[in-house]
Amino acid sequence: MLICKNLSFSIDGHKLFSNININVENQKDLLITGPSGIGKTTLLSILCGLQKPSGGDVLYNDINLYNLAENKIDHFRGNNLGIVFQSFNLINSFTVKQNLELANTVLNSQDNDYLYNLLHRVGLADKSHLKVSKLSVGEKQRLAVARAFIGNPKWIFCDEPTSSLDDKNTENITTFIKEESLRCKASLILITHDKRVQSILNFSQTLKLGEEL
Amino acid sequence: MIVGMTVITVSILVTQITKNTFNKNNPNLDVVVGAKGSPLQLILSAIHHIDIPTGNISYQNALKIIKHPAIKSGIPISLGDNFQNFRIIGTNKNILKLYKANLKIGSIWEKPMQSIIGYNVANATQLKVDKFFVGSHGLIDTGDVHAEQPYKVVGILNKTGTIIDNLILTSLESVWSLHSNETNNIKNNSNLEVTALLLKYKNKSSVFSFPRLINKNTNMQAASPNFEISKLFKLTGNAHKVINYLSILIISLSFIGILFTLLNNINDRKYDLAILRTLGFTKRKVFSLILIEGMTISLLGSVIGLIIGCVMYTSMEHLSLIGRNMISIEYEFFLDLLLIWLIVIVTSFLTCLIPCIKVYNQNVRSTLLNS
Repeated sequence: MLICKNLSFSIDGHKLFSNININVENQKDLLITGPSGIGKTTLLSILCGLQKPSGGDVLYNDINLYNLAENKIDHFRGNNLGIVFQSFNLINSFTVKQNLELANTVLNSQDNDYLYNLLHRVGLADKSHLKVSKLSVGEKQRLAVARAFIGNPKWIFCDEPTSSLDDKNTENITTFIKEESLRCKASLILITHDKRVQSILNFSQTLKLGEEL
Repeated sequence: MIVGMTVITVSILVTQITKNTFNKNNPNLDVVVGAKGSPLQLILSAIHHIDIPTGNISYQNALKIIKHPAIKSGIPISLGDNFQNFRIIGTNKNILKLYKANLKIGSIWEKPMQSIIGYNVANATQLKVDKFFVGSHGLIDTGDVHAEQPYKVVGILNKTGTIIDNLILTSLESVWSLHSNETNNIKNNSNLEVTALLLKYKNKSSVFSFPRLINKNTNMQAASPNFEISKLFKLTGNAHKVINYLSILIISLSFIGILFTLLNNINDRKYDLAILRTLGFTKRKVFSLILIEGMTISLLGSVIGLIIGCVMYTSMEHLSLIGRNMISIEYEFFLDLLLIWLIVIVTSFLTCLIPCIKVYNQNVRSTLLNS
């Protein structure tokens, strides 16, 4: 279970958001929406242990994330969280396969069959040897989504995972996210403005940043 | 890094082995008497066998000096020939006691033209007991041989770690007999000559008076090995210091090189390193990756430099006649090399810590946002 209590974040004295409370039960989902610049990506970074909040707590099954040492937060993120960043955050000088293997290295896993299965399902199996820099934006986005599911994470965070995809690929990737989340028995926390995604995933709860809850 | 380590390795080896050689070659001799000329040349030729002699002195005078009340013991030596660049020394049997040399096989010479050979000579020339060889005129192999009078090997010495290992010893009579045309009749003592006298005092109070006596009243000179060699080290010491400072400068520049290479690499890859953190690589792990990268450069560079330095020194040693009479069997100098290498590695480690700490303190989110 993911619980956030009274989360707030200020930058240079300017309050970005405050008093955010989240409660996502295991295997449930949450849609985060809100206008641009309201702090959705910052909130996601806080939930993933990448940005310390100005106030409040983030608890994963009673583990208070920001009470852990930084090395332990990194370790926790590697073992329990899958993240799809808006800017993909792929290593451009590595090949498609190497990017996935890198994620596997953190988990000391050698399950290459699973990697190929993921690549096949996101339609990148025939491009596994290509450098990321040679991929189109849409292909990079699909690779970033595939990487998030390596290691069967218990919480999946996606920041606009379909922003660069056409209708067909949006449907494919959204279905992929839904199926993989179910298979991993993971909770899904997703930021999107994409109505196509919202209609496929049918979220059980929504957090609208910038509006009263 | 490679260049710096190579220069400092060669410099240390040259300094240490030279000091080692000069210390080991001198079996506590107090003074050497020979023909007038450079005292350093006399010492280098008579004790260390890496220079040509200053000339000859009369054997009759030599005998008088040995019997002088200030002298405890004296050994005459006569140089002039070589076999495959190993010097043939005419002397008496006391030289074995002086250098604490024992026979490995065979016996000491009893007649003229019999010889015993040092350990390294036996290994290098493959001469064995009862084999004959002909000496070549001069101190380096010129091909001008005394074919009419070959030497017979009657004994081979055990290894001593001194210059004796590189010498062929024979009686004074052998050398006189080979050069009888030049020195007339062996039986006529007044015409016989030797190259130098290796002397020990009865007591050290003669250290000033005896050389003065020889230098002032005779056509010979007396030189103190310790004094001449320390004078030589003073002269060459400054050159070694300059070389050492130069190599420290080169190594320091290589540290700066490693530092900036790592800092540049980190700057180029800070986005990739931040991605590693998002995937779950801990700060500590990313710190170790950069440290391993830096230390690999330092370790490889310093070890390659060390090896090239040793190879260069060994080649120099083998290619020069002087080098061959250097004693490189002892390995005390390895401690100096090890110490320098450790200093280089520790300094590299400290240098690498700077980029590592930079990576350790990296803010993942702002790095990703700024990229």
